[in-house]
Amino acid sequence: MEIFALLDCIISPACLLSQAAGGLKIGMLLFLVASGLTLVFGVLGVINFAHGALYMLGAYFSWQIMSITGHFGLSVILGALGVGIFGLLFERILISRVYNADLLVQILLCYSVVLILDDLVMIIWGDEFLSSVGVPEVFQVPPLFIFDAIIPPFHLAIISMSFIVGLILWFIMTKTRFGRLVRAAAVNPKMLEALGININLLRACVFMLGSFLAGLGGALAASVGSVVSGMGNSIIIESFIVTVIGGMGSISGAFLASLIIGMARSFGAVAMPLFTDGLMFLIMVLVLVLRPQGLMGNKK
Amino acid sequence: MLFLNKDNFQRDVFLGLLVWLILIMFYFIFPDPGIHDIIQKVFILGLFAMSLNILIGYLGLIAFGHAAFFASGAYTLGLFLQSDFVSNLASFSIPVAMLLAVLVSGILATLIGAICIRLKDIYFSFLTLAFQMLIYSIILALVNITGGDQGLMGGFPKPPFLGINLGKPFDFYAFTIFISIITIVILRQIIESPFGYGLRMIRDNSERPAALGFSNQKHKLIAFIIAGSIAGLAGSLQALLDVGAYPEWAFWSKSAEPLFMILLGGMHSFLGPLMGALIFEILNDFVTANTRYYGLVLGLVILCFVLGLKKGLLDWILIKFNRK
Amino acid sequence: MLKLDKLSKSFGGILATDDVSLELKPNSINAVIGPNGAGKTTLFNLITGKISLDKGQIFIGNKNITNLTESEITHLGVARAFQITNIFPTLSVKDSIKVALLAKQHGLNNMWNRFKTHSINNKAEIIAKLSGLTKSYDTISSELSHGDQKLLDIALALALKPKVLLLDEPTAGMGPEERWKMIDRIQKLWKKTKMTVLFIEHDMDIVFDTAQNIYVLQQGSIIAEGTPKEIKNNKKVIEAYLGGGKK
Repeated sequence: MEIFALLDCIISPACLLSQAAGGLKIGMLLFLVASGLTLVFGVLGVINFAHGALYMLGAYFSWQIMSITGHFGLSVILGALGVGIFGLLFERILISRVYNADLLVQILLCYSVVLILDDLVMIIWGDEFLSSVGVPEVFQVPPLFIFDAIIPPFHLAIISMSFIVGLILWFIMTKTRFGRLVRAAAVNPKMLEALGININLLRACVFMLGSFLAGLGGALAASVGSVVSGMGNSIIIESFIVTVIGGMGSISGAFLASLIIGMARSFGAVAMPLFTDGLMFLIMVLVLVLRPQGLMGNKK
Repeated sequence: MLFLNKDNFQRDVFLGLLVWLILIMFYFIFPDPGIHDIIQKVFILGLFAMSLNILIGYLGLIAFGHAAFFASGAYTLGLFLQSDFVSNLASFSIPVAMLLAVLVSGILATLIGAICIRLKDIYFSFLTLAFQMLIYSIILALVNITGGDQGLMGGFPKPPFLGINLGKPFDFYAFTIFISIITIVILRQIIESPFGYGLRMIRDNSERPAALGFSNQKHKLIAFIIAGSIAGLAGSLQALLDVGAYPEWAFWSKSAEPLFMILLGGMHSFLGPLMGALIFEILNDFVTANTRYYGLVLGLVILCFVLGLKKGLLDWILIKFNRK
Repeated sequence: MLKLDKLSKSFGGILATDDVSLELKPNSINAVIGPNGAGKTTLFNLITGKISLDKGQIFIGNKNITNLTESEITHLGVARAFQITNIFPTLSVKDSIKVALLAKQHGLNNMWNRFKTHSINNKAEIIAKLSGLTKSYDTISSELSHGDQKLLDIALALALKPKVLLLDEPTAGMGPEERWKMIDRIQKLWKKTKMTVLFIEHDMDIVFDTAQNIYVLQQGSIIAEGTPKEIKNNKKVIEAYLGGGKK
């Protein structure tokens, strides 16, 4: 462990700021994906192991739309919407059959979909890495220098965009009728049914929203990194970590946890480059042992 | 044949040895090394899946980090055989290395299990997953010892012992199956003992045992340790087979494999996971020979089992035959 | 036999058990009655150590069992059957009783014997006979009738050879005829085994017919106790329970 490297970084404004900005970018992208996972778990009670595969699908969709239209904004939005619709079908055709099944069945069903999707994208788009969609022209400007820290404007854009999505999500969940219904469904679905609410429709909507968020994360990721089959397999584990640390079902918890994980990754890369992942799992273990319900979760 | 109707340890030992002899004859009747390889792997992975099924099928705990113990067994054996102890111990090296692999995995399972069993349901699953990934990260980080993401490279010697030379295909085949069968017979004894029924009791109703003057936690921990130790044994056999150990063996997807086998074979029959391993291996062999898209086929098969059959094959067969 | 001394327990500021004292004589059969939410089941949970006490002390014979764990208290001779049937769904009646018998004698740690051929079999048969489950001895618990599941719950408690048996609404969910059969069975059990029995029951006819001593619980405290005759004529009881709110 290189503790002095970490100290050096913290006392240097340039390093501190660029690592913090990097951590913020990682954290906010992660939040987009993980908020969808935690939302689906909170309302549907299903651990969607295929959430990472949906993220991958978002990346492929937006790559495809970009190569046809050449329009970045369109590729991100349509890519995410496409995943939302895919998620809707996935929920109606498969997930809805296992709501009452036990945990193992749900996990295996989702995992089988991961295996299938990972191969399907290879059949459709080939086994090779697809090079990233690329940063849109507006952002192809020299990086900002703040206290000598190099900060790419596009990263700032990703951070603010994720932040706005987070705000919208918060608004939907707390201020709208839909949000109130969703939160009520998480606590007592039977009661809602008795009140004449179509619970199946609500579940489908929530799953679609969750999938949309995964797709959005994937679509944005496609603009900064390459697109490849199996790219969802690490983000799903990170999303699990965020979900657990934040409290399963808690969106504000997911926000907090995403920031923690983003910073842990960014500064962990300075302090212990070989153990950055290990650090995340260590945090996860500690939270589960000391506070199993998560930082913002309600005790059962 | 009255002897065979009695479900006791002696009968199981007898049947186990009989199966072992049949498989040895099988080796000579079908000299295709590909088939021998499949059978070996079925037993190694079957052992892994059966150990996990102690927790899943008999205790009702969905452990999602079982590969941690498989990997710890593999790395312990590999590291020991690469060390200088081998020259001192000579012909005892392999038995000692295997014992050590089981012991280290058992100790690891004691530490991890003692913490995990305090949690329930999905929280238990997530904690086992977190511990496994922590161990995976440690393996990757300790490059000097484990070889990091390259795995334990350079191989290790396999000194003969008691006239068994594991470098020879036949010796390895007979030895691996023998060890597996003995372990399975012992596991059967544990599962059919009062202890095993204690597990079923906790699975069925975790609240009631306290009102019977029984404490669940100790029972759960012992089961966790047994499961971890057997997974370690399976890992050590796999390391002997591949003459190495790889970090992927500690990755979460390795924990999904025995889950598939349990699903395919059945979690409510003792030999279900072994049968699952057989299906898994045959599928693997057949599919990879014909297409690159193994995941697609495996995914579809699992989907059929989850939504169609809704239980493992052996479970399904046993229910069919018992219903008259 | 069982002595409660000023037990109190509150949940979130609400007193569920309020200064409850009582003493059961050896080999007596007693009933607790009271409206829903009077704290009857809470009282059982306190006695068996399932939940912890705020105040008070509990004795079995001369032994102070206050603050012991549920498992320890069970080993000292208190067993209970539950209001909502609490059995092992996939085990047969025989196997369920056997695990209960083995749990009592710490026999479930044994890995060397076979459960199926364990010598405990004879004892299990006796318990099954005592509980009237001989006919369904090999049936899987989840396939039993509701009444038999209730009996199995009691049989599990009996397997512990308790000094004090607590029965939480043994007749819950039963028709009138079935109720009397059940209570008959319990009376026979009590006479055979010389246990001290405390049961919760809603049916007044059953209570007055069966119990030697009755405790009336309301809002967590005992408002009256005595023989059926005394309770029938107790003004407080008539006012608060029998007269006012009889459903």
